[in-house]
Amino acid sequence: MIQLEFVLLLAGLLFALSVAGIFLNRKNMILLLMCIELMLLAVNFNFIAFARQLGDLNGQVYVFFIMTVAAAEAAIGLAILVVLFRGKKSINVEQLNEMKG
Amino acid sequence: MFDNFGMQAAAAEIFLIATICVVLLVDVFLSDSKRWITYALSLLTLAGCAWMTLSYGVNERVSAFSGMYVADPMGDVLKLFSYATVAVSFIYARDYLQRRALFKGEYFVLGLVALLGIMVMISAGNLLTVYLGVELLSLSLYAMVAFDRESTVAAESAMKYFVLGAIASGMLLYGFSIMYGIAGTLQLDELAVELRSVESPIGLVFALVFIIAGVAFKFGAVPFHMWVPDVYHGAPTPVTLFIGAAPKISSFVLAVRVLAEGLDSLVANWQDMLIVISVLSMAIGNIVAIAQTNLKRMLAYSTVSHVGFILLGILAGTNDGYRAAMYYTFAYVIMSVGSFGMILLLAREGFEADRIDDFRGLNRKSPWFAAVMLMLMFSTAGVPPFIGFWAKVEVIAAVLDVGLAWLAALAVLFSVIGAFYYLRVVKVMYFDEPTDTVDIQAGGTLRAVLSLNGLAVLVLGIVPSVLIDLCVRALP
Amino acid sequence: MPGIGKRMTLTSILFYAFSAVLVVAALGVITARNPVHAALFLVLAFVNSAVLWLLMEAEFLAIVLVLVYVGAVMVLFLFVVMMLDINVAQMREGFTRYAPLGIIVALLVVIEIASVVWVKRLGVDTTTAVPAAAPEGYSNTQALGELLYTHYLYPFELAAMLLLLAIIAAISLTMRKRRGFKQQDVAAQVAVRPQDRIRIVKMAPEKDA
Repeated sequence: MIQLEFVLLLAGLLFALSVAGIFLNRKNMILLLMCIELMLLAVNFNFIAFARQLGDLNGQVYVFFIMTVAAAEAAIGLAILVVLFRGKKSINVEQLNEMKG
Repeated sequence: MFDNFGMQAAAAEIFLIATICVVLLVDVFLSDSKRWITYALSLLTLAGCAWMTLSYGVNERVSAFSGMYVADPMGDVLKLFSYATVAVSFIYARDYLQRRALFKGEYFVLGLVALLGIMVMISAGNLLTVYLGVELLSLSLYAMVAFDRESTVAAESAMKYFVLGAIASGMLLYGFSIMYGIAGTLQLDELAVELRSVESPIGLVFALVFIIAGVAFKFGAVPFHMWVPDVYHGAPTPVTLFIGAAPKISSFVLAVRVLAEGLDSLVANWQDMLIVISVLSMAIGNIVAIAQTNLKRMLAYSTVSHVGFILLGILAGTNDGYRAAMYYTFAYVIMSVGSFGMILLLAREGFEADRIDDFRGLNRKSPWFAAVMLMLMFSTAGVPPFIGFWAKVEVIAAVLDVGLAWLAALAVLFSVIGAFYYLRVVKVMYFDEPTDTVDIQAGGTLRAVLSLNGLAVLVLGIVPSVLIDLCVRALP
Repeated sequence: MPGIGKRMTLTSILFYAFSAVLVVAALGVITARNPVHAALFLVLAFVNSAVLWLLMEAEFLAIVLVLVYVGAVMVLFLFVVMMLDINVAQMREGFTRYAPLGIIVALLVVIEIASVVWVKRLGVDTTTAVPAAAPEGYSNTQALGELLYTHYLYPFELAAMLLLLAIIAAISLTMRKRRGFKQQDVAAQVAVRPQDRIRIVKMAPEKDA
């Protein structure tokens, strides 16, 4: 018996961990991208749990699209990261200080 | 199952997708000297979209694709305005891109995909299409910001934009997922019905916080504005111009579709949150803008403050309020395109013209374009009789109508503070000595369209009824 | 039927066990010292999530998660991590400095959990029992497919456009023409004519002196 409360709690925990990870790893771009993936995973858990509770497949279809978008997002994010690395030889955010204000 | 499929309602979107593929294919076979064909095709695409939207225009709300797609008069007006904005952005961008060896097909293809995202958001009838529209727009903008690969500043700001944008999308989705769990539907119209019968709103408010955070980020409102100055400053100016114009229409429509249509029963809750965001945006945007020496950064903070004003109209929660917000969005987009167009006009090889000092003594070099900039700046500051003045009047009136007099007073106060830094640009143009004697090198098309742009600010200000009538027809 | 109760408990035991591993893996992602380790922890988290989704009767999505995420996206991550040759020691410098901030965020975690635990006050109807398992012969993949290609046709096409956009963006950002890069031009090779390459020289016959 899988309870809805438990899954929501798990998703909330994952979401909060990913937000904590974003704060902890503010300097490291590649870890930030991974934390974003974790965040989307938490959202997917919510959708699947609700879809099961409601007996409604639309929630599952939504997850399918989130995964598609997340894959595209990861590709673009990593492409920008590569451009950045070629220019600066670093992905350390603290060294990204060409802009002020 | 196939009832209400209504493909022809989405004719403009289908046409756009098909032509994006054509432009992409044609561009591959062009040599750099024939790149103007891509540019011409992109403009033709926009004209074609406009023709499609006009010929399949609707007088009332029509839904298609099992309710995923919604066409209504507001959507038609917003789409036509978006086509015009994107076309003007392309025209302004051409000279600059050519001079810097950036005149590549990607700018136009990514711009058209961004437009598709805006159109999807305008016609969204489902939480899923809202999300796909947001992502189509954001992903193309991230790529556009980074598209000058030689510039590390651009790559840096693209990375910041990307990370913050992805987090905002995550927030938005988390809110959507809880909404789905509570209402049991993803359709915005069904959501509105279901939510009216929910007794305890704690869960809804919880979800609403996440949704508002996502929407505020896409707007660039305080406290989610960190990306705005960096992206505006770091991106190549034609991309800044693009980001500053058409996507604002999509932010407006995102708020209207999700908050006003889907979550209208929670108006009391989101009104409070938006009041805080709006006041902070007006305050921080206007005050920080005073300290800027870079014109692109100054305009970025000015955007933040204008977003505060657009939110004023939306938070009123009435039809008049939405109409005022729509009018403000239109006015803002016209002024924003013009201001960045001025930077592109003055830019030449090795000279970005993005500092306020670069406008010194413009009156000596070109009295006409100094006058155009003067009109744009006065309008942005909200000085009558320009269009910016009427936009401010409309939103403040909408807020007064719902009994928020103190908020209206604050808005007036902040627009007075804001007038200062726009006037500084005017002062520099008319009373300072020019630092160089190089003439404006921009081409004839840019000059002509920019002149029209400047005149539009004045003419639409003297005859405000033209644009207001359009908004009334869109949101009766 | 005596078997049902037992099966239910087995399901929940499995669910709790895999959830625990998932949380540990997520913790690993955000605290790992080495980006490669973080990526591998993320793979662990995804594989665990796939099992949990199977238990929640989302079979198709569980398979897609493993195929697309573990199989493609995470491999891409690992490629980039290896390719960029990141200085690991430098990467972790700010970690302890941001720890207080992390603790504040951890407090946010607690608030989150508290609000989610009061799920009954969230307004979600949890009084109805969890729907019974799907009947025999039911195919989750088929049901999803039927929805996807009918009601979700429009979003489906938009998703295709998004993937095209990702291709355009990734290529335009990272592809560069290197100087001195040697390449075959097949069209030129095929179009070449004998007279371009060989010159037949008519010479007067040379006589011996």
